[in-house]
Amino acid sequence: MSRSVDFREFVSGFLLEAEEHLRSASGNLLAVDEAARKGEARPRAVRELFRSLHTIKGLAAMVGVDPIVDVAHAMEAVLRAADRAGGKLSLAAVEQLIAGSEAIEQRVRALAGGGPVPAAPAELLQALVELDPGESPGPSRAALALAPELLAKLTASERAQLTAGIEQGKRAVRADFIPSPARAAEGLSITTARERVSAVAEIVKILPVSAPRTEETPGGLKFTLLLLSAASDEAIAAAVPIPPGAVQPLTTAAPEEAAPPDVAEGAGPEDLPGEDPRRGGVVRVGVARLDDAMEKLAALIVTRYRLGRAIAALAAEGVDVRALRQIEGEHGRQVRDLRAALLTLRMISTRELLEPVPLIVRGLRASTGKSVRVEIDAGRGELDKAVAERIFPAIVHLIRNAVDHGIEPPEERRRGGKPEEGLVTITCFERSNTQIEIRVADDGGGIDREAVARRAGREVPRSDAALLELLALPGLSTRDQATKTSGRGLGMDIVKRLTEELGGEVLLRASPGNGRGTEITLRIPLTVTIVDAFTFECGAQAFVVPVAMVEEVVDVDSQEVVRSPGPSAGRLLVSLLSRRGEAVPLIGLHSLFALPGGEAAGRKALVVRRNGEPFAFAVDRMRGQQEIVVRPLSDPLVKVTGVPGVTDLGDGKPTLVLDLVALSGTLSGKRAEALT
Amino acid sequence: MSALHVLFKVAGAEYVLAAADVLQMESFTSATRVPGTPWYVAGLVQIRGRVVPVVDLRARFELPAVEPSLDTRVVVVQQGERVVGLLVDSAREVLSIAPDLFRPPPDVVATQAAGFVKAVAQAGGRLVMLIDCDRVIGEGKLHDK
Amino acid sequence: MAEILVVDDSKVMREMIVACLRGQEGLAFTHAASGLEAIERLSLKPFDLVILDLNMPDIGGVEVVEFIRGQDKLRELPILIVTTRGDEGSRTRVLAAGASRFMTKPFTPDILLAEVRGLLSSAGAPA
Repeated sequence: MSRSVDFREFVSGFLLEAEEHLRSASGNLLAVDEAARKGEARPRAVRELFRSLHTIKGLAAMVGVDPIVDVAHAMEAVLRAADRAGGKLSLAAVEQLIAGSEAIEQRVRALAGGGPVPAAPAELLQALVELDPGESPGPSRAALALAPELLAKLTASERAQLTAGIEQGKRAVRADFIPSPARAAEGLSITTARERVSAVAEIVKILPVSAPRTEETPGGLKFTLLLLSAASDEAIAAAVPIPPGAVQPLTTAAPEEAAPPDVAEGAGPEDLPGEDPRRGGVVRVGVARLDDAMEKLAALIVTRYRLGRAIAALAAEGVDVRALRQIEGEHGRQVRDLRAALLTLRMISTRELLEPVPLIVRGLRASTGKSVRVEIDAGRGELDKAVAERIFPAIVHLIRNAVDHGIEPPEERRRGGKPEEGLVTITCFERSNTQIEIRVADDGGGIDREAVARRAGREVPRSDAALLELLALPGLSTRDQATKTSGRGLGMDIVKRLTEELGGEVLLRASPGNGRGTEITLRIPLTVTIVDAFTFECGAQAFVVPVAMVEEVVDVDSQEVVRSPGPSAGRLLVSLLSRRGEAVPLIGLHSLFALPGGEAAGRKALVVRRNGEPFAFAVDRMRGQQEIVVRPLSDPLVKVTGVPGVTDLGDGKPTLVLDLVALSGTLSGKRAEALT
Repeated sequence: MSALHVLFKVAGAEYVLAAADVLQMESFTSATRVPGTPWYVAGLVQIRGRVVPVVDLRARFELPAVEPSLDTRVVVVQQGERVVGLLVDSAREVLSIAPDLFRPPPDVVATQAAGFVKAVAQAGGRLVMLIDCDRVIGEGKLHDK
Repeated sequence: MAEILVVDDSKVMREMIVACLRGQEGLAFTHAASGLEAIERLSLKPFDLVILDLNMPDIGGVEVVEFIRGQDKLRELPILIVTTRGDEGSRTRVLAAGASRFMTKPFTPDILLAEVRGLLSSAGAPA
């Protein structure tokens, strides 16, 4: 990693925060231990434990303490499963989590003492990986009297927490805190309010709520606190502070709605795969091949730690293990990347993909007041999880468009002789064994070509393809005000971009039936390659290179560069870069690709390793890191070593994906030719 | 039976291609050059979401290069499984030409486009040359990754 | 001065982020230790960029983004998500909610710098 900021100076800050989190974790571990003995759930403690471990993991990753990352990661997985199961842990799980917490504590102390940090214990990791997820909780019996849109923002876990608290005899109440500049000046903020209130009540959730900007709510904002407490209303009100009458009960009503329909399942801790609105909290791991692969990966991780211990043992005997450690580090990165890639390989059925659609339409019915029904024909196809997740936002937007802009209000439909209830159909079918088509159609009023043309300041488009081009101009909308549902986030331009980034196309059929309605089809490939890549510039051109391939990104300090004494390879400028006592061949990428520029100051170099030998490629500047979709280059005209594919960074132009390892291969040996 | 052909120009000379093989004709600003490819490969462009390699016909016919103009077009053709773009000075017309009008190219014409011309025809009072697409885009099959 | 709101419940993390951006002139930083505090601060003063972690107490990052995008005045505010490596689910969700860019930890300073520069220079551009 580049050294312009040395994260090691933050180790002391890391130690402080890690110890704080470990302390709060032991409190929570005691609570879940007690609960496990009684067979009870403790959703809040589990959630807090998850968050603590997750934070420790992130910080440890930044300061580079891999053993702590690995233990925290394994513990996090167990806690995530338990959170999904309503906050219940088995005794065996608690035991392992306590062992994990001790293992982390031990390593934090080692780091604090300035000594080496022992690798993560293999048996512990194995044990954590093998733990069963907890059982699902029973259905919640009591219902809560709360406005539907607020109720919808609670996760299953939080609702469970509220009803469990009520059953245990606590009172559930609600209090609103309104921030303002005046209050801020007095030191009254939501943070201090929270501290004061936690002294007298258990805070289940704090919801930010928009309010019109009035004298009462000058910031246009108020916070609604949902609390469980044995204290009096006055005590709670004094803590916030608000007038005592402003504390309202959240009474349990007779169960008229057994389960609120529009529930946001995923609004809890970040990073919970499976707890996602599209699946209703269920992880489908029905694909035997993936299970098998994941099992093998777990074994790989464990072996990795045995390797680490063996290296440590050698080091203790005085053997120089620097090279071994470097390889171990790279291996660890590759294993992590492999895991991510395996998860990306999971195929999901088109039925699963479209599962959340009825829920979305129900929500749209409510927010637009339109009368709409949806028919889904998902077919029997399967697609890459990676493709599905990327295309899903586009599908959602098309549906929103259909309900919001397409379907007319009931009176208008009646007048037009149409059934009052509009129809939106979504169809999915496999066009070929490499492509799938997803079509969203509505029987609404169709697209007003003249209005679109007017809005865009262009001629009225004659073909559907031309109309689509106009609709996809960024920022276009034929409504003056972006409506609540379609206004923010995605526009047709982004639907097009999302689709094309995957190597697909968008097709529009305006008025397919009797001059009515609209039909939009997304045609996309079934599988794509998605990798994490560094984006950089060289000679005013952008390139990307997979992160997994790059060992390090370093600054090219001219003082550390030495011209190679012998004759340079061909016409290339090959220098030597001094790096950690190693002389690394440094080649300017522009020299290799005959691009303009070259001796700019402040350049970076990407170091790769091929057959154990390092090579550094100098580039002008790094832009960033992002996931990219790689589209392979297969035409013989453009098949060259070192350029396996292209990607679209969002500007509509092909950006080359570079295989720097292969490129370094073309340089090895005595004869190297300059590529033009 | 006449068949539709797309007419395009390179350095003043007029060429045709069977319209059935032409997928699209797009305007052109720039291509992403791929290092290590032959000099006549202008690079890659993205057309309607598809990444297409483009052969610069001026370069292919060994004619001097010019700056792209508003008339410059990429004629996207399909040859078997391959989809390739041809960079031409302009492409505006579609002609209907009966197949029996095509004759083998006389020697004079053949040297100009160095064997990339399959046949010639008189159509609408002008001499047009039928391009041998396979020769232009070269050999090779698509590789499946 | 570009006003940047840095939101992460870890003080060390916030300090590391600010340290990475030390090389860039004209930046002023405000810290928030929770999504709620961030929302509160956003209601009291205008900002040019929000750097947001997803894993925080009380209110998840996705909800924060949804709330921000629901405010008329904040619809175009650039939001850079910086969070521990997650799966595609979080990424899709938070981007669909309207976040501008997504970065994972650990990251190198020059990459954070590049992302911030990019977002500040194309302020107001759609995600």
